Amino acid sequence: MIPFLADIDPLFKVLAPRSADWLTILPEIAVAGLSLLCLLQAMFLPKALRLLIPVTARTGLILVAIMALTSGPWMQSADLTSFAGLLRQNLPTDGVRLVFLLSALLTSFLAEGFLRDRDAAIADYHHVLLVVTAAFMLLTQANHFVTFFLSLETAAVGLYVLVGYLRRSEASLEAGVKFLVTGGLSSALLLMGIVLVYGALGSAGVADSLNFTQIGKALAAQSAAGTVSPLTLTGIALILGGVAFKLGAFPFHAWIPDVYQGAPTPTTAFLGTASKAAGAFTLLLLATGPFAPLATKLAPLLAGGAVLTLLAGNLGALATTDVKRTLALSGVAHAGFILAAVTAALVVPGVEAFGYDVEQVVVFYLLAYVVGTFLTAQALVALPALEDHRRPQLALRGLLRRSPLLGGALGFGIGSLAGIPPSVGFIAKLLVLALLVSAKLWWVLGAALLGVAIGIHYYFSILREAVVRPTEDGEEIVALELPFGTRALVFVLAAASILGGLFVLAGR
Amino acid sequence: MENTTLAHHLILAGLLFVLGLTGVLMRRNLLVVYMCLELMLAAATLALVAFSRFNRTMDGAVLVFFVITVAAAEVAVGLALIVALFRKRGTVRSDELTTLRD
Repeated sequence: MIPFLADIDPLFKVLAPRSADWLTILPEIAVAGLSLLCLLQAMFLPKALRLLIPVTARTGLILVAIMALTSGPWMQSADLTSFAGLLRQNLPTDGVRLVFLLSALLTSFLAEGFLRDRDAAIADYHHVLLVVTAAFMLLTQANHFVTFFLSLETAAVGLYVLVGYLRRSEASLEAGVKFLVTGGLSSALLLMGIVLVYGALGSAGVADSLNFTQIGKALAAQSAAGTVSPLTLTGIALILGGVAFKLGAFPFHAWIPDVYQGAPTPTTAFLGTASKAAGAFTLLLLATGPFAPLATKLAPLLAGGAVLTLLAGNLGALATTDVKRTLALSGVAHAGFILAAVTAALVVPGVEAFGYDVEQVVVFYLLAYVVGTFLTAQALVALPALEDHRRPQLALRGLLRRSPLLGGALGFGIGSLAGIPPSVGFIAKLLVLALLVSAKLWWVLGAALLGVAIGIHYYFSILREAVVRPTEDGEEIVALELPFGTRALVFVLAAASILGGLFVLAGR
Repeated sequence: MENTTLAHHLILAGLLFVLGLTGVLMRRNLLVVYMCLELMLAAATLALVAFSRFNRTMDGAVLVFFVITVAAAEVAVGLALIVALFRKRGTVRSDELTTLRD
C-alpha cells in the first residue's frame, strides 16, 4: 500500500484547484452561501423581521440567475473542464442550471404561505431547499463519479427532509419514510454500479476509471475490440437504474404517487420539476457521454423504457381521482417524453428538431414543465383542504367562481401540461415528436401520441371540476383572497406559458 | 491473508449485497430494512476497497471516505424520520403505513 502514497504529494500539486476553477462554480457557491444566510437570519433577526428570510432567498436566487446569465466564464459554447476534470461545463449545463434556479424560486413563493398556514419553520425549509438546489446544479456538471455520487446524495438527503417536513402530518412523515427507503435502495444500487465500472475498467488497466472522459475512451476502445466485460455492463445497468429511479421512469416509478401525494405541496412541485430535471439531464449526460460507445446496446433498452414509462404513467393517471396522484403519474408520463428524446440522441447522434439539438430540446421541455407545474400548484396550494394529503377532484369544484385568477392559473397550467396549442408545453412536445420522427423511432412515437391523447382526457377531467361544475345548490361562494405576490406570479407564469413557445419557434 | 485474491473479496461483497437487498425487499420492520440498506452500502464499500487495493489506484479508497460520510448523513436524517413516524403512529412496520392511497 505504502509505495503509491509517495505519488500523492506531486499529484496533489498538479491537481490542486486554482482560482479560475473556483470561479466556474461561483453560482453554486453563491446559492450555498445564501442557504447559510437563511440560517443566520433565523438566529439573529428579531421575530418581526423574520418575514425577510424568504425575501432574501428569492432576491438572492434572482441575482444568481442574472449572474449566471451575464458574467463569468459561463455561456461559452466550448466545453470548460475544471477541478482537474471533476467538473465539465458547457451550454446545456448552464441552461439546466437556470431550470434549477427557477424552480427553487417558484417553490419558495409557494412554500412561504403554505408553511405559515401550517405553523412550520420557513427559514429551515429555505435552507434545505437552497442546499438541494446547489447540489443539483453541481450534479449536472459532474464529469467524475465522485462528484456525481456526492452531489446526487447531498440532494437526495435534503429531499428526504423536505418531503417529511411537516412533523405533525402523518401523510408527510409516511411519504418521507417511503421516499427514504426507496431512495436509499436506489443509491445503494447506483453506488454498486459505480464500484463495478470502476473496478472492471481499472482491472483492464484504465488509469482514472472514475472519470467520465476516461471511461468513454476506454469503453470506445473495448467495444471496438469486443472486450467489454460483463462486470462493466452490470455496473452500467445498475447506474442507469439508479438514475431512472430519480427520473421516475418505468420500472422505478412505483414510489412516485405515494411520495408526491404525501409530501407538502411545494415540495411536490419541487420534486416534480427540479428532481426530475436532474434525473433527466444526468441520464442524457451519461448516455451521450461516457456510455455513448455502447449506444447500440443501450438504445433498445431506453426505447423500451420510454414506451413503458409513457404507458404506465398515462394509464396510471387515468385510473386515479386524487389530483396530486394524477399529476404525479402524469409526471411519469413526462419523464417518458424526456426518455424518448434521449433515445433519439442515442439512435441518431446529433439528431435535430427544427434546428435544435437534443440537449436544447430537453432543457426547453423541462422549462415548459416547470411553468405548467407551478401554475397548477398555485391553484392546489391556495385551496383550503381539511386533510392535506387528500385532494380529490371534488375539492376543485367551483374554483373558477371563487377565484377567477386561480381558475385561470389552473387552466393555463393544465393546458400547458396537456400540450394544447399554442402553449409552451405544446411546442415542447412538438419538438420531442419531431426528434422521434427524424430518428425514425415509430414505436416510441406511437406511444407518445397515444399518451398525449390519454393525457387530454385526464387533464381535462381535472379542469372540468374547476370550471364547469357549479358549487352545491345554496352553498355560498366564498371568494379566495390572494396576496399581491401570488397574483403577479400567476400573470407572469401564464404569460410565459403562452409566449415562451412562440419565442422558441421565432428563434428559428 | 496472502492467498486471498480479488475474486474472494468480490464474492464476499456480492453475498453481503444480495443479503442486504433481500432484507430490504422481504422484511417489514423499517429499522431492519434500514439496517439492510446500510449493509448494501457496506458491501459496495468493501468491493471498492478491494478494487482499489488490487488495481493499485487510489481513487476508490478516497471514494470510500465520501461514501461513509454520505451514509452517516443518510442515517441521521433517516432515523429522525422513522422516530418521528413512530411517535405519530406508534408503529414502524411498513405494511401498516397505509395513509397514502387513492
